[in-house]
Amino acid sequence: MSDFARQVETLRPQLLRYARSQLRNDAWAEDAVSEALLAALEKPQSFAGQSQLKTWLVGILKHKVVDQLRRHSREATILSDDDDTDIDELLFAADGHWREAPQAWGSPEQTLNQRQFFEALDVCVERLPPAQGRVFMMREWLELGTEEICKELGITSTNLWVLLHRARLRLRDCLQQGWFAGRPVS
Amino acid sequence: MNFNRSCREVTRLVLESEERELPLADRLALQIHWRICEGCTKFRGQAKLMREAMARWRGYRDSDEPPQS
Repeated sequence: MSDFARQVETLRPQLLRYARSQLRNDAWAEDAVSEALLAALEKPQSFAGQSQLKTWLVGILKHKVVDQLRRHSREATILSDDDDTDIDELLFAADGHWREAPQAWGSPEQTLNQRQFFEALDVCVERLPPAQGRVFMMREWLELGTEEICKELGITSTNLWVLLHRARLRLRDCLQQGWFAGRPVS
Repeated sequence: MNFNRSCREVTRLVLESEERELPLADRLALQIHWRICEGCTKFRGQAKLMREAMARWRGYRDSDEPPQS
């Protein structure tokens, strides 16, 4: 195996994790990663070396992940039961007031300079329910436009909006509990 | 025009503003609400932090660069 092939293979577990976190399906993730690795190994000359190998591979993987989403769009949009919990009901009383007022998180700079924060954020993203996780990742990781996401998944913009809204509130809740709670903020 | 919004509605608008520009009346209602509501003002700060975090999170995932670079 060439050095190049070995380096590519070394990154496979990480690519698989990324594909899984977007697709929420092991078989589709395996396919996306295999297709990405094949594309990379078939055209090593397209890796010009000016970017990191990982950056280049992740770029290819994103295209293959979108292909998988397209291929399985019907199955991908089944909203599982755990998506039905209305987080708004948990956060707000009937009169629309916060049940528990949000806490100050301090300055973004202080938080965003810590590598562990991003590890915590990663965990929170992985924990999102499947449908919410998929649309959130399509928006934030694949950076697809809202119209494109609706088209790929065959959902209305209202569906998409509700899923993104719930995903962001859940993420906020997870960060509050998993990172900010008990951490003194300046 | 009625500029009264509940905290629940304000939260929805703050998150919606990440996807599209809000109508003038909603933007005004948010400004008025933030002046009188500490909880929603803090939520606004949380949403801002999360927005910045997601941009850096992509860099953290997609390369081996440390998040601050």
